[in-house]
Amino acid sequence: MSGTNMAQDPLLTTYDAVVVGSGATGGWAAKQLGEAGLKVALLEAGRAVSPKEFTEHMPSYKLKYRDHSPEVVRTRPVQKQCYACMEYNYEWFVNDLENPYSTPPGKPFTWQRLRILGGRSLVWGRQSYRLSDNDFKAAGRDGYGDDWPIGYADLAPYYDIVERYVGISGATEGNEMLPDGQFLPPMKMSCGEVQLRARVKAKFGHTVTIGRTAILTQNHNGRLACHYCGPCERGCSTFSYFSSPFTTVKDALASGNCTLLTNAVVSHVDMDTEPNKTRGVTYVDRLTRQVKEVRGKAVILCAQALESTRILLNSSTREYPNGLANSSGALGHYLMDHVVGAGASGRLPEFKTLPNANEPERPNGIYVPRFRNTPSSKRHSRFIRGYGYQGGAEAGFNFSAEGYGASLKKAVKEGEYGISLGAFGESLARWDNYIEIDRDLKDAWGIPALRISMTHGDNEAALMEDAGATAAEMLEAAGAKDIRVQAGVEMPGMAIHELGTARMGNDPKKSVLNAFNQAHDVKNLFVMDGASFVSSACQNPTLTMMALTVRACDHLIGRFRKGEI
Amino acid sequence: MKRRDLIRGSVLAGAAAALRPSLAAAQSVAQQPSELTPAQSGVDASKDLAAPGWKPLFLDEHQNETLIVLSDLIIPATDTPGAKEALVNRYIDLVLAAETPETQRTFLNSLGYVDGESMRRFKAAFRYLSREDQDILLHGLAYPRIGGGWAGDTGAVADPGHGHFEALKGRIMSAYYSSQIGEKELGWDGAFAHGPYQGCEHPEGDHK
Repeated sequence: MSGTNMAQDPLLTTYDAVVVGSGATGGWAAKQLGEAGLKVALLEAGRAVSPKEFTEHMPSYKLKYRDHSPEVVRTRPVQKQCYACMEYNYEWFVNDLENPYSTPPGKPFTWQRLRILGGRSLVWGRQSYRLSDNDFKAAGRDGYGDDWPIGYADLAPYYDIVERYVGISGATEGNEMLPDGQFLPPMKMSCGEVQLRARVKAKFGHTVTIGRTAILTQNHNGRLACHYCGPCERGCSTFSYFSSPFTTVKDALASGNCTLLTNAVVSHVDMDTEPNKTRGVTYVDRLTRQVKEVRGKAVILCAQALESTRILLNSSTREYPNGLANSSGALGHYLMDHVVGAGASGRLPEFKTLPNANEPERPNGIYVPRFRNTPSSKRHSRFIRGYGYQGGAEAGFNFSAEGYGASLKKAVKEGEYGISLGAFGESLARWDNYIEIDRDLKDAWGIPALRISMTHGDNEAALMEDAGATAAEMLEAAGAKDIRVQAGVEMPGMAIHELGTARMGNDPKKSVLNAFNQAHDVKNLFVMDGASFVSSACQNPTLTMMALTVRACDHLIGRFRKGEI
Repeated sequence: MKRRDLIRGSVLAGAAAALRPSLAAAQSVAQQPSELTPAQSGVDASKDLAAPGWKPLFLDEHQNETLIVLSDLIIPATDTPGAKEALVNRYIDLVLAAETPETQRTFLNSLGYVDGESMRRFKAAFRYLSREDQDILLHGLAYPRIGGGWAGDTGAVADPGHGHFEALKGRIMSAYYSSQIGEKELGWDGAFAHGPYQGCEHPEGDHK
């Protein structure tokens, strides 16, 4: 056993709460509960992480294969579909040979995962956007699906708490679809982006803003401002981007109330002899394969949407033969992942800036909040909901220059001023997008693996078609030439925004969790991650997951103090 | 000392201070060294290719020599070093040795195509041609002319030689610009802490 900071044997202790997963939401749960005086066990399936293994300042020529390592191809054929899985850091990502999942024929799904302290918060894209009531109450407005059991007013104070702690840089815009928050100073826009912003506002009335990102633009909470070296996904020696091991988990351990158990691969939730009550979780030691149980008065799953639901599906009992806390039958269903695959790119020849490898590299782009099917726009005839764009404009080296010889070398250095927009669209919650246990497939720890069945539908395809054409119009307005349009639909999973499968709701017959991420069926069981989402909206979801977690923990602490858990 | 070095020094000094508490937390946890990538373990492979007595792992001697000649033509030494000095042949050989048979076959096919065209037109393998003839052959592959029109014209049929040229050029460029020489060619001065990002500082509507 490793990583404990309490004297007693964790396996003989009954904790107030067992938190499964140490990523963006697990870190928050451990911090908040520990700081409130609850005794917490924080379980992480992977190993601990050290700043000594950060490689953000290592040039690629020091890599043996300069990011073409055969080891990545061999052990991470799925993970390497993510841009962040590189020869530098591939050991942070799961080994696909040990962590299988299946998909039905013709329904590919890419599942990007990390098992290490901090999970995906080590490599996440850091874009941080609030949802609005246009998202929480979308079903009431357009008739599709279900509303969330909470509204923006319920979550707004928790967005504030998370943003103040994490440090989100961004600009206030007063946009009806994208509520403003507690921002650090925004990062600057490039010339091309400033021009795009002005012309898109003038011609279409839409907002182009700097990305709201969990990267510090000034020193904050003991962490240093970004020094613009660029590749955050390899770690950050100044801790300028938010990742849980060096923030929330650190605080949780500092509270003196949190015991960290690394290499604890949780297989299932254990039920008490008392009905509808859990008593903790069972895990397999990742290295020794010893099976161990950790007891807790409450169990909180923060393992990532699909992993948390996998644990519940693997926790069937006589009362719950189809997965724990699944009297509704909704567990595993309504899987979502933002639809991507559309956008446009081009050149802005009027900008003559020369590219230079030595320039500051801004690890952030621009954002265009959703402008389709808004309260102030008319309803689109071909689709419901909408999409937002992420993109950017900058001078880059022209590696696609034609020819050869001295003229090629010169053309590469002269570069091109490029501009691009790529859409993230809402993925509608559908019953027939679901996960289940594949009875023939187990992972390297003997734990039954998932079968993931998901496709994007007609609405997502219509969103992407519109997104490609509209991005081209915006770039044209900005003065772009040689515009190339993409209007396809990439395979689900590519956005790495998996959501749903244990949705919240007021009706226990239709949902797994209540408005406080608490299982309807098992009152001391909570799921605090993306699994709880009722709809996906089109904004990057991590900020909302963290705010939901803080709100749910507030509720849990209250219940504890009243002796109800 | 340059301004950037000054910034870098201060950022890293601050970083060391910020690291202390979390390093202590992290160090209390046993590490599994085998679970680090070579890069995370601090392995620097940048000198490997320059090792004395280097021999190709995948290419035969003729293929290797052909690749050196080709890379030197595509990215020659000018006022800065070129692909030959950057040992792009050695890097490409290393990567190919670890590639799938299909990728290896595709590469050899492209290299063989150049030799084949050379033998067809000049009765000798590419590396034995005069610089002038090498240039004539390469020019035809780089800027193919088909049926009186250019490759981009409507109705033009893509020249397979152009595809092979682009495949070889792509590998050579990738190898060159990821080398230390290539990074310098792109203006990198060796400092990593680059901030702050200044962005657009022009008056509204005037970015010239």
